[in-house]
Amino acid sequence: MTTTQQLSADDRARIKDIICDILEIEPDDMTDTSRFKEDHEADSMGAIEILSQLERAFGTDIDQAELATMVNLEAVVRVVEAAVAAKSAQAS
Amino acid sequence: MVYDDGQPPRRVVITGLGTVTSIGLGAPAFLAGLRTGRSGVKPITTFDTTGFAHANGCEVADFDPREWIHRIDTTELGRATQFSVAAAGMAVADAGLTPQELGERRVLVSVGTTDAESGDLDGLARTQLDEGPERWAPGVVRRAQAGRLSSAVVRELGLVDVEALTIPTACAAGNYAIGSGFDAIRSGEVEAALCGGADAVCRKTFAGFYRLGTIAPEVCQPFDKDRKGILTGEGAGVLLLESLESARARGARIYAEVLGYGLNCDAHHPVAPDQDSLARCMEVAHRNAGVKAEDVDFISAHGTGTRANDVTEAGAIRQVFDTPPPTISIKSMIGHSMGAASALAAAACALAITEDFIPPTVNHRETDPECALDCVPNEARAARLDVVQNNALAFAGNNAVLILGRVREAA
Amino acid sequence: MSPLVISAWSATSPFGVGADPFRAGLEAGRSAVEPVDRETHPGPFEQAALVPEFTAARYVGKKGTRTMDRVTALAVTTVGGLVKDLTDELAAHPEQTGLVLGTGSGSVQSIMDFTRDSLVGERPYHVDPARFPNTVMNRAAGQGAIWHRIKGPNTTVAGGTLTGLLALSYAVRLLRGGHCGRVLCGAAEEYSTQRAWLEWHGRAEEERDTPLGEGSAVFLVESAEAAEAAGRTALAAIGAVRFRACAEPEGAATARRTLADCVRGALDAAGVGPENVRAVLPLAGGGPLATQEAAAVRDALGEARPRWTRLRDLVGDTSAAATSLQLAAALAESGDRGLAPGEAALITGVDRDGMVGCAVLTGAGARR
Repeated sequence: MTTTQQLSADDRARIKDIICDILEIEPDDMTDTSRFKEDHEADSMGAIEILSQLERAFGTDIDQAELATMVNLEAVVRVVEAAVAAKSAQAS
Repeated sequence: MVYDDGQPPRRVVITGLGTVTSIGLGAPAFLAGLRTGRSGVKPITTFDTTGFAHANGCEVADFDPREWIHRIDTTELGRATQFSVAAAGMAVADAGLTPQELGERRVLVSVGTTDAESGDLDGLARTQLDEGPERWAPGVVRRAQAGRLSSAVVRELGLVDVEALTIPTACAAGNYAIGSGFDAIRSGEVEAALCGGADAVCRKTFAGFYRLGTIAPEVCQPFDKDRKGILTGEGAGVLLLESLESARARGARIYAEVLGYGLNCDAHHPVAPDQDSLARCMEVAHRNAGVKAEDVDFISAHGTGTRANDVTEAGAIRQVFDTPPPTISIKSMIGHSMGAASALAAAACALAITEDFIPPTVNHRETDPECALDCVPNEARAARLDVVQNNALAFAGNNAVLILGRVREAA
Repeated sequence: MSPLVISAWSATSPFGVGADPFRAGLEAGRSAVEPVDRETHPGPFEQAALVPEFTAARYVGKKGTRTMDRVTALAVTTVGGLVKDLTDELAAHPEQTGLVLGTGSGSVQSIMDFTRDSLVGERPYHVDPARFPNTVMNRAAGQGAIWHRIKGPNTTVAGGTLTGLLALSYAVRLLRGGHCGRVLCGAAEEYSTQRAWLEWHGRAEEERDTPLGEGSAVFLVESAEAAEAAGRTALAAIGAVRFRACAEPEGAATARRTLADCVRGALDAAGVGPENVRAVLPLAGGGPLATQEAAAVRDALGEARPRWTRLRDLVGDTSAAATSLQLAAALAESGDRGLAPGEAALITGVDRDGMVGCAVLTGAGARR
């Protein structure tokens, strides 16, 4: 069982930057709960791109099944936290 | 329609088939595989698959290019070009022609592809990392060009009065190439056409589809409730086309008639297909071929086995057909051979018409209710087929639908 | 069917973006070959002819171009130069316009960068999914269609240096076959480090040093009738596009005979006498093949003394875009009214793989 560890503010900002870059929007336009698809015109390619960039940035594996839950920044942060925790659990 | 030379359009027939596939080399072996529902799936060996959680594919094993290619030094040809040249040679022989006889005619060679020799580019990228681009082998560089897929066919067969056209319109390219051959013979522009498609498994494309989450871990299950994606495959399919008149004059065996085809572009999304646009493409093809939806006896679907493709394609079919005919995907057997896919599917359609059967969709357990098609699960079915439809879709929303038919006496 | 004509064209070239700079550069006979910035363009070449200041963001727009590669941007820009005159037609019947675009092997830079990511990443699938479509060779044609809402047949064509002629031939076949009402047809090629290395290794020793160029040219092809109905001037009729293969591709000597036969066949098919050919635009690829090409044209034209334009001297080796840019040059030279009746231009090419080809453009007023 893995415990989730909170990401630093820097890491959260990094996630936001990655997503805003992919969705071609200004960081100010995105809130923790604004929805990628409905509010920011993301499509399926955008979603998979976000997953892919995060895997590379954090050196983790994120199950593609998580794509369905990655609907806003808050949700993505949770997914990355879990993935990072899973990685460190594996390493220890 | 009357062409510039004052002649009405010629009827176009298929008299030769060349097939390089993971379930058999040559039309007889391919036919046997289609009849028995053979599967070409096995672990990929073309590139190092370390690090991928799963890496099955449908590679062509036991292919010795020197068995099929005689005039050209086979090391001058990349793997996809080897497939293309071998399949073209098979098609000419299968048509009962010699290269010399073909060389006396005006010919179009059109070969579709997705990746051409991207496998060689993969290798050059590796060398670049290890030793630098200065160390590339010129022979590999020269053969790593899309144009080679058709020009090498010309060289191998010694054709002279010929246009060599490569059509890299990705996964629908085979149908595009056959369509262009059809137009060229119909108008009297050429007397024979060798057309089809070729591709070889490569790291680049596997990694791309894997990243998109569209590679099935084990097998390809088009239209199945539990389908998990594509398997990358390889091979080549080449058809020899000529006019009905020419085929009759030389007493050639005729597999099928090319009735027409339709092309269009979604102009919408780079990778996601558009149901309405695909439906329109089928209608365009029917119009071009002079058939009605209810005339179609079976559909060879693009049927990649991804969630998105199969449900979109099935939806488009139900949009056009009140009662869809049996709709199968040979990708369940030979994987997704990319640019070769629709050419090999066209060859399968021609064989189906000649041999009175519908090839099965193998690996099938339970049809997805969202697809709701009779996909002829697991076992081939006997059927007399008069008109068949061959669908092809590609990235960028490039659709191509080909219509073949049994040759009837009156036009 | 009335003759097929070219009724508009556009070019993105080392002379700049659009038909006007292309025409001006050509008229001035100015070479666009310059030293390349070795920081941004490492590779074997010191010089190249690049489209000046060209980026996707600048010419296509900032939105949606983050992952657009150069060849796609060149194609989208060039097609854009034509669709501005087709706005109503594209809005009313988007499926009646086709797009046929020639390429060498897509963007070899995009393809090989993608493989590199797979090879060096922590995982072999640590590649950028948004760039995957860039590695598929129909990307430029597909994006051209998506960007400009062109819903007719969308085809990518390849054939080495003959690519532009093959695209034209394919477009003619598509129109004669009734698959659409008009076709935007041409080719595009980008300058990239990977292409530079591939060209360097692929060439024979004696043509190694020719600088690379890049660019794109696209033509609007339709029936004379359709052009007239739309109020467009028929700049040239497509007299014939023909190809032949050398019996022995390695022996340059056969290229001369093969191309001469090809040109004679094309002139014959177009109903044009050698004396009507006022302009010759050869590939002029360098090395023995270029000599053979020139000799072949002289063999076929006999006493005629046309004007010769060797575009490659000005814009470098544009590979897959070369014959399209030669076609554009033929139109540029003929001015706003196009080729005069009774006048013809001959565009030729010889490919290293043993294929030759040519196109004959004629004054659209001269009906057969």
